[in-house]
Amino acid sequence: MKNLSLLAGLLLVLFGHLNARAQEPPGDRLITGKIAAEDAGQGLSGVSIVVKGTRRGVSTAADGSFSVRLRAGEKALIISYAGYETQEVKIAGQEKVTVLLVRGNRQLDDVIVTGYSTQNKRFIAGSIASVSGDAIKDIPEAGFNQLLQGKTAGVQVTANSGVPGGGITFTIRGNNSINASVQPLYVIDGVFVSTAEPIQTGEGNQEQSNPLADINPSDIESIQILKDANATAIYGSLGANGVVIVTTKRGRLNTSPVIAFNTYHGWSNAIKQFKVTNGPETGLLTNESAVNTAIDNGQNPATVVLPFPDADTLPTYNRIKDIFRTASTSDYELSTQGGTDKSDYYAGLGYLRQQSIVRPTDYERYTARFNSDYFLTHQLKIGESINITRTWRNPSSNDNNPQGVINSALFTRSYEPIYNANGTYARYGSFDNAEALIKYLHNNATGWRTIGNVYAEYAILPELKLRSSISIDYNDEYENDYASTEISAGIASNGLANSYETKNTVFLNEQVLTYIKSFGSNRQHSINALIGNTFNSVLAQETSATGTGFAANSLTAISAAATTTGSSTSSTSDLVSYFGKASYTYDNKYTIDGSIRADGSSKFGASRRWGYFPSGGITWQAGQEEFIRDLHFFDALKLRASLGLSGNQNGIGPYAAQGLWTGTGINYDNLAGIAPYQLANPNLTWETTRQTDVGVEFAVLKNRLTVVADYYDKYTYDLLLNVPVPSRSGFTTYLQNYGAVTNKGVELSLQSVNIKTREVRWTTDFNISANRNKVVKLASDILQGASGRDISILRQGYAVNSFYLYKQLSVDPQTGNAVYQDVNKDGQITSADRQIVGNANPRFVGGLNNNLSLGAFDLGFLFYFQQGNKIMNMNDFFMIHGGTQKNIGFVPRQLDRWQKVGDKTDIPRMTTYSANPAQNDGAANNYGGNVASESTRYLENGSFIRLKSVSLGYTIPSDAVRRLHLGSARVYVSATNLLTFTHYLGLDPEVSSQSNNQNTAGYDWATVPQPRTVQAGLKVTF
Amino acid sequence: MKRSYILSLAMPAGLAMLTGLAMLTGLASCKKFLVQTPNNELADNVAIVDASTANAAIIGAYNGLALYYAGNYETLGTMPADNVIFNGTLSQYLQLDQNAIPSDNVTTVAAYQEIYATINTANSVIAYVPGVTDPNLTAAEKSQYIGEAYFIRALCYFDLGRGWGGVQLELKPTATLSQLNGIYRSSLDSTWLQVHSDLINALQLLPEDATTRNRAQKSAARALLARLNLYSQQWDSAEYYSTQVIANTKYSLVRPYKTFFTAPFLSAESVLELTYTTADKNTFWDLWYPSSLGGQYTLKPSDTIVSQLNDPTIGGSRNALLAGTAPNVYGVLYNQIATSTDPAYVIRIAELYLIRAEARAQQNELSGAVADLDSVRSRAGVPLETNTSQAAILLDLERENSVEFAFEAHRWFDLVRTQRAGAVLGLTNTDYWLFPIPLSDVNSDPDVVQNLGY
Repeated sequence: MKNLSLLAGLLLVLFGHLNARAQEPPGDRLITGKIAAEDAGQGLSGVSIVVKGTRRGVSTAADGSFSVRLRAGEKALIISYAGYETQEVKIAGQEKVTVLLVRGNRQLDDVIVTGYSTQNKRFIAGSIASVSGDAIKDIPEAGFNQLLQGKTAGVQVTANSGVPGGGITFTIRGNNSINASVQPLYVIDGVFVSTAEPIQTGEGNQEQSNPLADINPSDIESIQILKDANATAIYGSLGANGVVIVTTKRGRLNTSPVIAFNTYHGWSNAIKQFKVTNGPETGLLTNESAVNTAIDNGQNPATVVLPFPDADTLPTYNRIKDIFRTASTSDYELSTQGGTDKSDYYAGLGYLRQQSIVRPTDYERYTARFNSDYFLTHQLKIGESINITRTWRNPSSNDNNPQGVINSALFTRSYEPIYNANGTYARYGSFDNAEALIKYLHNNATGWRTIGNVYAEYAILPELKLRSSISIDYNDEYENDYASTEISAGIASNGLANSYETKNTVFLNEQVLTYIKSFGSNRQHSINALIGNTFNSVLAQETSATGTGFAANSLTAISAAATTTGSSTSSTSDLVSYFGKASYTYDNKYTIDGSIRADGSSKFGASRRWGYFPSGGITWQAGQEEFIRDLHFFDALKLRASLGLSGNQNGIGPYAAQGLWTGTGINYDNLAGIAPYQLANPNLTWETTRQTDVGVEFAVLKNRLTVVADYYDKYTYDLLLNVPVPSRSGFTTYLQNYGAVTNKGVELSLQSVNIKTREVRWTTDFNISANRNKVVKLASDILQGASGRDISILRQGYAVNSFYLYKQLSVDPQTGNAVYQDVNKDGQITSADRQIVGNANPRFVGGLNNNLSLGAFDLGFLFYFQQGNKIMNMNDFFMIHGGTQKNIGFVPRQLDRWQKVGDKTDIPRMTTYSANPAQNDGAANNYGGNVASESTRYLENGSFIRLKSVSLGYTIPSDAVRRLHLGSARVYVSATNLLTFTHYLGLDPEVSSQSNNQNTAGYDWATVPQPRTVQAGLKVTF
Repeated sequence: MKRSYILSLAMPAGLAMLTGLAMLTGLASCKKFLVQTPNNELADNVAIVDASTANAAIIGAYNGLALYYAGNYETLGTMPADNVIFNGTLSQYLQLDQNAIPSDNVTTVAAYQEIYATINTANSVIAYVPGVTDPNLTAAEKSQYIGEAYFIRALCYFDLGRGWGGVQLELKPTATLSQLNGIYRSSLDSTWLQVHSDLINALQLLPEDATTRNRAQKSAARALLARLNLYSQQWDSAEYYSTQVIANTKYSLVRPYKTFFTAPFLSAESVLELTYTTADKNTFWDLWYPSSLGGQYTLKPSDTIVSQLNDPTIGGSRNALLAGTAPNVYGVLYNQIATSTDPAYVIRIAELYLIRAEARAQQNELSGAVADLDSVRSRAGVPLETNTSQAAILLDLERENSVEFAFEAHRWFDLVRTQRAGAVLGLTNTDYWLFPIPLSDVNSDPDVVQNLGY
């Protein structure tokens, strides 16, 4: 750290020196000109023009004009602009130049960021997808990872709920693991960021927040998604689930300051709202259940006392409409970027406020970023990337928490009054009062996130660079919740307050030595190599306090509570890594590369602490071969193949290998105790993913159509598996390296330039991917999900996230009873007849993105689709109960129940009869019995196609803009989730209510649906 | 120009040094860097080594007991029978109420796992405390801890036996998984034999009775022996041990009835009562109270028990177990809603009276049986026994147990042990008189056999 402050001091001294040197010798030539895009004709602003052989340069003005001074002997300009091919323009005698830039083939030719280096995509053997920051605009979602939905092949993104800033599921090429994490590694400007969910407020089984929503998407320049082992092995034990590298915006040398202001306002509502039966219908169904039950019990139905003799007169209270609202979103962003000939900078400020369409949840985010680089000398560069974010949320309960807003409004019977006769809030059964919850929710979660990286880079030789950096990701969440005596959670304890302080800190130190050199005649030989090491430390700290018994509801601090308790824990895990990679290209045609990483982790047993992760790949630029050129068909053709290993250790505890007794929560009669906690496993080590990938990339029709296709085969073995062990051991599971999972798939991306004229440009990007997941080795079935109902199963030979239910074949038209498949044909329905009936994994996911520009107008629309996944509709599971749930109402689908002989329906006869629970086509199994409603009648097809976004923009012509003293201006309107095509009967098919466990995907359970949003925005530069 | 040149030399030197330093210190401390230990857990090889850890381990065993008695075991003892009905949303309770219990029923699985975890802790105390040489651990404490561990293990195996039938007997702390191999389910008789032998050891080692009621002392072991002998139909032994406890002046039938479940707890009624604190809560009340009072109202007194408790000739002062008005009557045995510190009533002196009454009745000592039954009845303020035949007295004892222990872990186990679950509950399939072995055990344990019918 001392050395760093020294660097800073030197930097200041040097700045003074540099400024003093800025004089101009005589005898220069002044060159002026204009730079435009060859297909649009309009001037391009901000194009970088550098005098060849120097770092001196300028950038173009808003209309594309520039002027630059050449000294004696300087003969050429290098002109570069993001998305266009770089040109070298010779300056012989002329003083005026006009340059038309040609759009580059971004998919095949870009220089992109890879693990610890940047490389031309042409020579990379790995499978890497790139998304530019510009491609994720105009959708009002807080997390950049959510915005990648439908944008790239091989990536599946699902928003778990419609809560703003809420959790998402993001997987690359399927689920690799069962108990370790399936999330990719996110590297933001060199920082390995934490994806640990910091919010502790207990709210059912959903992730409350997306930790990556702390990054403002507007600050992002580009995103690279590293998918295969060749690309990820350099990240060793962190790379098995893929790596997402985010590069934020930086200024460019020699560009004048550009100040940009960006704002939008949006309005959201629910596409569909929950529907329940009205009072008379609820009464009718309840009566019918009572009569049928009496008949089943052999009683005379005439003697039954009806629960509602006058069902028709029951009132109806609509709780649903009170919980939904039209939610507003506001966003403001201000940024500036630019650079001198020695330094560059980017600074951005952002503010986002977003309401949930279900009351009363809100989300608020302030972001600030500063990135800059300084060339201290020709050889030495230093710089930093700093991000500071403050977030605020008021998390509210959902899914299986009966005291959440949606539960209380949805499940309570509709004839029950909202208020008691004396005006107080009425509550029924297990449920709270939704109105009270909305009015008295007092949860505050404030997050402070600092992600920073400071580096120095020294060019020992032009081809040999050493870079050293120190990074930190500090995520602090401070939650203060108060349940007042107006809501159930606070009634009994006379006010209940919880406070949590959660800190997740990642510290990283990294050294990388890079060697890039071409030599030989015609530079036939190119070498790109690096070695490096990192020290990585992850610190998790938590302190919590609880207070009960408050004198008044306005006293919400725990210091004012009658009884208080507290707790604190901390844990540390460390990772030491050494890595190297090298790539050799011959004649721009053949590339061979390899990498290896050695990782040592504190999580594992002393003898198995180190893991080694090698990879290798080959690339053949077949398009460069004469015989391919002679075909006059391919503009580019590349074949690549790779093989490698990567590891995974995330998601297991920091002390998972040690035999431990715990003191946490172990006490009796106010004395502290200890109890066995976990068995030692000295052999615990990494789970390893072996991945092979073959890919082809080509461009045809004069680069108008670019195609990238991949096939991959991943085999993950030595799974870090919580293997169930006999309970008589005193333990329920034992973490060991056991089991294997495969993921195989194909990916296809097409990029087409459909129309390319001066006035009109229309491009289409299409991607589709199919992944097949299978658990190939497992000790025994693992059942979980739906709060102990065990509807999800992991079983050898089947995919993860499989559903395990009784298959309802029909409802017997004679009896009205459900008939289930008797798998073992023993004439009875027992747990042996439960079977796997599908899974939550889509067979295909993909996106279709169109961008059309017509003069000053631009139109974009994105379709996202997924096909083949199932959804367990838990709302129906509870609300089609045949009368067994006295305090829960019905959904209208219950009205389809069997009523008389001959009725054909899939909803069985209403009854609460319970004898003979094993009888097939028996009354007990309609809604109870052995089946206990764990029936396929609530499992639905979750396929959908959605018009994810559509936007229409207008760029105000440059002369009009200039009159307003602006650089540029664009106004737009856009709509998100405007159309959804699906057979799913619930509110929205994009849902995952049990998302805090990666193995229980695909539930829909009292969850905020995806909102439909319309927004209008403005972006101006000065 | 010169200044810049010097700088360009000095800077890389500094950077190289910085990098080199980082790499060197990194390498040197790498080994240490990769060794991390937790601050809230103990390595298992130093878990029971001195006086304080020995004490902490037996506290850990009580904590285990208190965990499965914080609602789960009481639920198993009531819901499958007729005093308590399902009124909530969680299907594990519906399954118990309907006697359609799948092998992954949350409550049976949790109780089974919690009981065996407690056994493992007790086994550790029994195995390791004798070897502790710390002079701060007195011989009396040593014998007390080991005696308590034997008692706790006995109660655990007893609770397993009456719920699941004969079970696998684990008598050593689990150090490795391989030691589990080859231990099969014992018969119920062998399970009872193990409980008996543990209780005899406990009786020897436990301290004489003092004022303590929330930890095992000699009387607790005798009381459990009485209950064990009742279950195994050793009527004379049941009578013998219950007489010993009833004779102890430490215990009495407290009046009014509700005294024992009204704070302050640890009344003279309790032979063994588990204590909960704000740091170690018992939130069982939450399942009984309606949401208007902050609860979930999942468990509800049945119409039958409500009418019996409210009947002055049957329930008497035991109607204090109920609150609310029809149809929203709820049970208030567990009532510390503000603090969640309700005790668990494991053995009350009233039970010893009813054990002795039943043992005497079975041995045809009818007058003694009626005297014990009347002790319990008169405390509740209901008319004394008028029946005189053995069969009628036994039936009256069945009902007395039902109303006296309406919401404690009794009714279901009583009906199963007396083979009356078919007649009373209509549950004629005797397979369903035992809970299923958890599915995860059936899947992971080659040595276990599932109960019939599951």
